[in-house]
Amino acid sequence: MKVFIVVAAFLVTAYAGTNDVCYKNVLRACETTSKNVNGLINCNARYGAIEAVLPDLQTYVNTHITRSFEYLLMATHYGNYEKSREGFEKIFKDLSDSKWEEAIDLIKYITKRGGKMNFAAVREDTVNDNNGSYELYELESLAKALDMEKQLAEEAHRIHGEATRRRKDYHDPEVSSYLEEEFVHKHANIIRKLSGYTSDLNTLLNGPDSSLALYLFDDYLKQHSIV
Amino acid sequence: MKATILILLVVAAFSVSTAQLQCFHRKPDIPTDWIDMVNPCVRKMRDQVQEELKAAIQYLAMGAHFSRDTINRPGFAKLFFEAASEERQHAMKLISYLLMRGELASDVSNLIRKHIEPQTADWKDGVSALKDALKLEASVTRKIHDVIKVCEDPQNAGNNFNDYHLVDYLTGEFLEEQYKGQRDLAGKISNLDKMMDKHAALGEYLFDKKLLSGEI
Ligand SMILES: [Fe+2]
Repeated sequence: MKVFIVVAAFLVTAYAGTNDVCYKNVLRACETTSKNVNGLINCNARYGAIEAVLPDLQTYVNTHITRSFEYLLMATHYGNYEKSREGFEKIFKDLSDSKWEEAIDLIKYITKRGGKMNFAAVREDTVNDNNGSYELYELESLAKALDMEKQLAEEAHRIHGEATRRRKDYHDPEVSSYLEEEFVHKHANIIRKLSGYTSDLNTLLNGPDSSLALYLFDDYLKQHSIV
Repeated sequence: MKATILILLVVAAFSVSTAQLQCFHRKPDIPTDWIDMVNPCVRKMRDQVQEELKAAIQYLAMGAHFSRDTINRPGFAKLFFEAASEERQHAMKLISYLLMRGELASDVSNLIRKHIEPQTADWKDGVSALKDALKLEASVTRKIHDVIKVCEDPQNAGNNFNDYHLVDYLTGEFLEEQYKGQRDLAGKISNLDKMMDKHAALGEYLFDKKLLSGEI
């Protein structure tokens, strides 16, 4: 019975407003005679929809790390003496760098909102694609990159949706705004560039000397930044 | 019926496109006698790429832990996030070296595992994380030693070859950084440990602020 009252009281305070939970924690911690260092469990940074989107954000970090590794493999392939395509090597290295930086940024964001990172949260279809090859021909590699970027973009849209459209309690404009500023617009730029490159290369490979065309195209990539 | 038409359309589209586009080009004819690295040594180097990335992820987990709201040690987090990116750079340096020597022209897809999990994700306090970092660096140093041992052994796998250049590179660049980094970590552990002697909480708090401002 006592337990029930305590639980009920807790629920009432929780519904009455989450604003003074930390304060009550502090009052209790300061009143007790024994030192209670871990008594302030409610003085965390969690609010809004972070609890609801946390698993998605954790998985999103791990997907970025995997993509960063995959782009590094693609860059490595273009750096070998037989391929020797500095432009392709550069765009994939730049993509690898930016996925890595974004992974770190996302981890910082998760902790900013009171969350904890979980490195075991992965998408099975992302990490278990064992027959995926990263030793690709030029046009193939651009196509693969375009698909990977679209998948990342659509994942960002999905998480954004979780924080905006669902139940009223899950509405979290701060999460949506972060995703828009740090990811959504960048994705649009990269996707547009990759699509343009694919289109150019498609035209060039159709010409009389596709081998020379590839050399010139690679030379162009060397001087431009994709991210 | 619909499916057959669809398949026909796909096949037609595919054959038209292959007829038009020349996506694949011949392999160039390049002499290969300049490529002189021997196999056991290349294998060791490839493994070391993975080791560096494992260290990168371990540091990432440390950065994530100290960034948490209820841990709140931004100085430690900064130190470990930077260390993570440095480890990734080491992996990339090893790859660049192999490419320079004519290696990694094939079998690139399995060079890196797609998912690496950190061995530890929680630490009692800052000093225990620094101690873990020092142990991690010591184990990486031992692994670089192992690479050197294999690569400078002319007896290895019957190939009469001592890879002087690689061994010099690993010694001069990698071991140099390992030993300096280890001394730096040991110094940090020493200072923090002594600061925490009487006032553990205050010691760690002050040390974290110093790490954050870049004073230490
Ligand atoms: Fe390293």
